[in-house]
Amino acid sequence: MKRRDFLKYIGIGGAGTGLGYLFGKVTQSPGNKLIPYLIPPEDIIPGVGAYYATFCTECSAGCGILVKVMDGRARKIEGNPRHPVNKGKLCMRGQAGVQGLYNPDRIKAPMKRSGERGTGQFVEISWDDAVSTLAKNLTELNKKPEQLYLLTSDMRRRGHQHTVASSFMSGFGSPNIIRHDLLGPGNLEFANHASMGLSAIPHYDIENTRYLLSFGADFSSAWLSPVSYGHAYGQMRQGGNGRGKLVQVEPRMSLTGANADEWVAARPGTEGVLSLSIAYAIIEKGLSRAGDAGSWRSALGAYRPSEAAKTVDVSEERIYSLAKEFAQARPSLAISGGNLEGYENGPSCHMAVSVLNHVAGNIGIKGGVIPSPEALASAPHPMTGPKNSLSRFAADAEAGRIKTLIVSGSNPVFTAPKAAKVEDALAKIPFIASFSSYIDETTAYADIILPPHHPLEDWGDEFSEPGAGFAPATVMQPVVSPLYDTKGLGDIFIMVGKAVGGKTAARMPSAEFKDYLRGSWKEMYAKNRAMAAGAPTFDEFWIRTLSEGGWWGAESVKPRCAAVSVHAVKEHLSKSVAAEFEGDEKAYPFYLMLYPQAAMRDGSGALSPWLQEMPDPMTSVVWGSWVEINGKTAASLGISEGDVVSIESPFGKITAQAYLAPGIRPDTIAVPIGQGHRQYGRYAKDRGANPIEILPFKENPKTGQIAVNSTRVKVTKIGNGRLVKQEGAARELGRDIVKTMTPAEFERIKG
Amino acid sequence: MSIFSKVKDRLEDLRRPGYFKKYDHKFTMVIDLDRCNGCGACVSACYAENNLPVVGKEECGKSRALNWIRIERYVEGEYPDVKVKFIPVMCQHCSKAPCETACPVYATYHNQDGLNVQVYNRCVGTFTCATYCPYDARRFNWFTYKREKPLDQQYNPDVTVREMGIMEKGTFCIQRIRAAKDRAKDEKRALKDGDVTPACAQACPTGAMVFGDLNDPESRVSKLAKSPRRFRLLEELNTDPSVIYLKRVMKDGRGTSEE
Amino acid sequence: MAEGHQKSSMSYKDVNEDIYGIITRSGIGYYIICGLFGAGAAVLFILPWAYQIYVGQGVSGLNVPVFWGIYLVNFVFWVGVAHAGTLISAMLFITQTPWRRAISRGAETMTFFALMLVTLFIFIHMGRPWNFYWTFPYPTQRQLWTNFISPLTFDVFAIGTYTTSSIVFLYFGLVPDLAALSHTASGWRKKLYEFLSFGWRGTDAQWYTQNKACMFFSAFIMPLVVSVHSVVSWDFALSLVPGYSKTVFAPYFVTGALLSGFAGVLLMLSIMREAYPVMKKYVTDYHYDRIGLFVLVLSLMWSYLTLMEVVTGLYANTSQEIEHLKFKLATPPYMQLFILMIFCNTVLPLVYIVRKVRGSVFGRFVVPVLVLVGMWLERYLIIPNSLSRKFLPWMWQDYAPTWVEISISLGTLMMFISMFMMFVKVFPIIALFEVKEDIGVPMKNRKHH
Ligand SMILES: Nc1nc2c(c(=O)[nH]1)N[C@H]1C(S)=C(S)[C@@H](COP(=O)(O)OP(=O)(O)OC[C@H]3O[C@@H](n4cnc5c(=O)[nH]c(N)nc54)[C@H](O)[C@@H]3O)O[C@H]1N2
Ligand SMILES: Nc1nc2c(c(=O)[nH]1)N[C@H]1C(S)=C(S)[C@@H](COP(=O)(O)OP(=O)(O)OC[C@H]3O[C@@H](n4cnc5c(=O)[nH]c(N)nc54)[C@H](O)[C@@H]3O)O[C@H]1N2
Ligand code: SF4
Ligand code: SF4
Ligand code: SF4
Ligand code: SF4
Ligand code: SF4
Ligand SMILES: [Mo]
Repeated sequence: MKRRDFLKYIGIGGAGTGLGYLFGKVTQSPGNKLIPYLIPPEDIIPGVGAYYATFCTECSAGCGILVKVMDGRARKIEGNPRHPVNKGKLCMRGQAGVQGLYNPDRIKAPMKRSGERGTGQFVEISWDDAVSTLAKNLTELNKKPEQLYLLTSDMRRRGHQHTVASSFMSGFGSPNIIRHDLLGPGNLEFANHASMGLSAIPHYDIENTRYLLSFGADFSSAWLSPVSYGHAYGQMRQGGNGRGKLVQVEPRMSLTGANADEWVAARPGTEGVLSLSIAYAIIEKGLSRAGDAGSWRSALGAYRPSEAAKTVDVSEERIYSLAKEFAQARPSLAISGGNLEGYENGPSCHMAVSVLNHVAGNIGIKGGVIPSPEALASAPHPMTGPKNSLSRFAADAEAGRIKTLIVSGSNPVFTAPKAAKVEDALAKIPFIASFSSYIDETTAYADIILPPHHPLEDWGDEFSEPGAGFAPATVMQPVVSPLYDTKGLGDIFIMVGKAVGGKTAARMPSAEFKDYLRGSWKEMYAKNRAMAAGAPTFDEFWIRTLSEGGWWGAESVKPRCAAVSVHAVKEHLSKSVAAEFEGDEKAYPFYLMLYPQAAMRDGSGALSPWLQEMPDPMTSVVWGSWVEINGKTAASLGISEGDVVSIESPFGKITAQAYLAPGIRPDTIAVPIGQGHRQYGRYAKDRGANPIEILPFKENPKTGQIAVNSTRVKVTKIGNGRLVKQEGAARELGRDIVKTMTPAEFERIKG
Repeated sequence: MSIFSKVKDRLEDLRRPGYFKKYDHKFTMVIDLDRCNGCGACVSACYAENNLPVVGKEECGKSRALNWIRIERYVEGEYPDVKVKFIPVMCQHCSKAPCETACPVYATYHNQDGLNVQVYNRCVGTFTCATYCPYDARRFNWFTYKREKPLDQQYNPDVTVREMGIMEKGTFCIQRIRAAKDRAKDEKRALKDGDVTPACAQACPTGAMVFGDLNDPESRVSKLAKSPRRFRLLEELNTDPSVIYLKRVMKDGRGTSEE
Repeated sequence: MAEGHQKSSMSYKDVNEDIYGIITRSGIGYYIICGLFGAGAAVLFILPWAYQIYVGQGVSGLNVPVFWGIYLVNFVFWVGVAHAGTLISAMLFITQTPWRRAISRGAETMTFFALMLVTLFIFIHMGRPWNFYWTFPYPTQRQLWTNFISPLTFDVFAIGTYTTSSIVFLYFGLVPDLAALSHTASGWRKKLYEFLSFGWRGTDAQWYTQNKACMFFSAFIMPLVVSVHSVVSWDFALSLVPGYSKTVFAPYFVTGALLSGFAGVLLMLSIMREAYPVMKKYVTDYHYDRIGLFVLVLSLMWSYLTLMEVVTGLYANTSQEIEHLKFKLATPPYMQLFILMIFCNTVLPLVYIVRKVRGSVFGRFVVPVLVLVGMWLERYLIIPNSLSRKFLPWMWQDYAPTWVEISISLGTLMMFISMFMMFVKVFPIIALFEVKEDIGVPMKNRKHH
């Protein structure tokens, strides 16, 4: 019982017994609502926090977290110090995880559509209704089960939740699992596989490298595993191991670029060319450590610095000096991501960087690229490709091949270009069920919603990448009892599967998902001797795993070595590795670069008021969108800060407010991804602009990855405005506020 | 002791800044700017730990965000030679805090742990402390900010929720310090290095923030505080801050030798 | 001296009746105007203030780091206006300057009401005004005490003392007048005067005591006047803020206060004379001549100190001071406001060099209004403006008052006017007994020319 409530009731009593009596009559009696702490519920000690281990689902890095629970409520998320990925640290997105749980706009019970599709109007129904409606619909498809499609995200590291979903689909008889994840690392995976033969993302050993050459990989914000790499970055700089140098190649200065010792503003789309010309220069100067340098020299003939310099807009001398430093610093490491991932020829760009690592002898060494050990257990791990891409989905829907669609964990109406015509596709599908916690843009098209628990209320597991020397297996467990009438995600598939009956039901685990999960871990335990060490029985192991948050092999698994052969990548590098951009250079003079921020990522962060109010690190803008324009460019267009500008590509037009950025090429503009929602709750809705809308729909034919940096745009001022940002002035005016010292002096004081 | 020397002592006492001859602790934060990458994890951690309200776009536009810690970003040079520096700034817990002289009602004062504490209940909202603070570390409750239900369920019960008319600022997570001291007392031992980690330092991915007791010569902060890279923000103002920064190493940085 | 500015041919009765006439005889128009100002105050001040208290200080334009806006500007402005009144009375009383007699009461009254606004603005600018009494050192069980090194605590004492002494000073002067008027008056006024005059009968002993008391308070108040505004200036000068932290502030503020105070008195007299033509008998061109000279001299002093203020900043030559000066002197709209301020406070008062101008309509109305505007601007350009450009450029932020602040400022001005007008309807706005001194007072055994 809350003291304040107690006083309130006393107060009411005092105000007049008659009134108090009436009050008691018309409302329920206070005693019914107040929970006495005389016999507190299990696990709840009033005022004392308990910490539950689970993992962060805000991005695919899979950081281990501890949730501080007090009085049955999740109060705060902290990093799990034992977890090898994040080592007790957490990013801003991870902190805000609780805001998804307690978001006022969460779906509180199953719902069915009550308005037009897309408007997001629903009425609550019971679970029985919801499950039977969906099951009935599916039973009607029994003859042609391939007419059921599952639209999901890059769930491949989401362990057994994903396994259950896959079993559901295969049991039903449909191979049609469409994967759409705007920011997934599909291109990188493909490139690593093709060039180095790696099946998983390797560990980029930033911590131990002495020279980090990053091609667009903004590991401080959103690239792959920002917390893990953030930690490694800190260690690289001041870990006591000699200070590593960071060089960042990108047309728009990212947060990582801002921290770099050198920032190389290569022409957009030519980073791969630059990488190969550096590789060429290394070989030319005889600095290569690869045994097959000779064959590479001839293979890279087209990338002589003298010729590449003009393409990449980086001087020949600079290419040679980068080559020299990169080859001589030991160990050095080149990484690629960010804008490269988003080029239409992303895989080639990544491969170009693999080649550079190979030539400099950085693969398989400490401080270089370290191939990951096999994951402990993982769901089937299909690469996204033409077979399960969004364009296939759109085509199938258009042709009427999709009768029923289940959406779970993907929101392509928001994250795919308008040109992909996802909305038209959805309109063609007779029945759509969404397993979503929020009414996002895609769920707004659903006929029925079966809301899963929030991950903080749910069971699951995760086998995260990257990780050198360990293969972490992390458990998701409920840290609070469910707030609303929702079900575990795994359980929803099981329930529906059982209701459908037949082979589908047979493929579903007999028990609840929670027990199925435990059973699966028991199997893993039985197979894995290392797991048994220190825990003679499975029950002991399981309890320990739940309290520690997961299991990570104590012993390091020897990373396999990998190399890049000319033969493997020749096909991909034969064409120019410079990316193409839509739009005529005259009519559309600017390259459009889209980028994710740590807070919003693909837009899923927009529902959190904390994240909305977190200033963007590079602009300090809050609660909205902006477009970064070089100051000189802006001046030539008559644009000053805060002005409303229209950004027009051949595929559409958006408006945003101008931020005059010092660190961006004059021929490039950049817009962050994440705002511009039309649904998705009160904090996200109708705020800013969604730049994805104006992209061409260019899917990489190999990976199905959508190119987000693939068009040119024109920029016109259409009005005045004031940008809401935190920065007053970002210049020190000679005050020497943030004091610095030169690397030379640092070396001296260290000695 | 003669009465004369007693008076002399007393007068000298009065001239000594702060309130105590000797602090029980001297809590100090060391922030390594060469590690910090400006990611802002510390900012959100402070929101989560200290029940900081979200004020919304309009209020942010008026510079009324209620952040106890912010990442300042300073830019030098023009394209393409742009250099960017980040610095997390929170209340510096100045040992000679200008804000403390300012407050007419002692709502902000120095405690025996070397902390600049803010007593919400005592504050009458004169703003003086905030105008006097050279670090612009103080924030005001312009309104009573409410969290929309059920977002209020994540309030940290260890920290009070402030109401309209009150000044506030970073506390070095005093609730964690108190809890750690209580724990140490329960275990009948002295507070030791690493017992207290403020929320921001706990989250910081790069490990840029280290917190501890400067009175303990063996603590990590005591060692880091001796770094030749140390400096304090606006040190020339003689506020004697308890936040020690370590210089960023960068090309064209200002070496002391050049000066 | 005193050439022709008072008619020695006037009888005491004339004086009594003239002045009682001011109190009682005015048309309905006067009351309507007074009522309108009162209503204006209620609507423009009371309602918005209630709103601000209910909703929070957020309804103002204040922000981080501009925590002090026009409430504090008004606070300092009214402290300034409050200065002339008592100073005129006290200083001129001590020096026995005869021309003070006709204007001292008006000036003191102005001081009284200005101080009321000063106190009000302290409350208005507070985040939790209902706890204002925590700023007083009073014994409590919780052993909470005030912080005696805070300049705000100095303020509490300085302004508290100044207000108390000003009220006492005003009241001491009123006693003989109220006694005199109680004979002429009737109705509730008579009762009030009798009660307030505390049985004053005008005995020699009483006159002697009254005179001594006034002399004492004059001597007491003079340094107080200097100290009050010095203390107010320390609210700013004791900080580190560029633009605030200047040793010149105490004299600068005091001079500015006197300048605005004298301008205020000048304007008040001119308006009163228009409202009550009978006052023209008492307040003559001679007064304008004298006050004009004061304003001229104060303006020159103020201008010098303004120059010093700027030059001190330039001389410091730190980025902080320079940026602050740039913001104040070279950034629109503050540049324009600065120019306007210099025009109002430095250029315009120079017209008083010409004797004829001092008594002209221009000199009586236009110049003092603009000097008051200029002095308000001076505070504006110091208080919020300096906070806009503090040490860390990242936090730089501009400030503009909102409708609430503007409305409260105007409303309080209206309240000032309406209360002044009401005061005039109850109490003699010209000191009867002092005017009578000019005519020649047989009861008083002090000589005069
Ligand atoms: N270490 C530490 N000590 C503190 C404080 C602190 O912060 N730290 N806070 C202080 C403060 S602010 C306060 S107010 C006090 C509070 O201290 P106490 O007044 O002791 O408050 P409680 O322990 O909450 O309640 C006292 C008892 O009342 C019983 N009780 C509850 N309801 C009723 C009822 O209806 N009738 C009767 N007869 N008994 C009832 C409870 O079961 C409990 O045993 O503690 C003070 N002491
Ligand atoms: N759960 C629960 N709720 C209660 C009560 C209860 O017993 N249990 N008791 C009720 C009663 S009687 C009272 S009086 C209220 C008290 O309620 P609160 O006023 O909220 O009191 P505390 O929780 O004791 O302290 C508030 C916070 O101030 C922090 N703090 C401590 N010292 C300082 C300081 O010097 N400076 C700053 N800035 N912060 C400091 C503490 O870490 C704590 O987070 O709570 C009421 N509510
Ligand atoms: S990087 Fe951040 S969002 Fe991603 S899993 Fe880790 S804490 Fe969560
Ligand atoms: S969390 Fe650490 S690295 Fe990130 S901004 Fe804060 S101090 Fe810097
Ligand atoms: S940083 Fe500001 S608020 Fe904090 S102690 Fe120093 S002066 Fe006070
Ligand atoms: S705002 Fe509060 S803490 Fe600050 S000086 Fe005023 S009363 Fe003191
Ligand atoms: S120490 Fe605590 S209060 Fe201070 S900035 Fe860090 S999290 Fe916020
Ligand atoms: Mo209490």
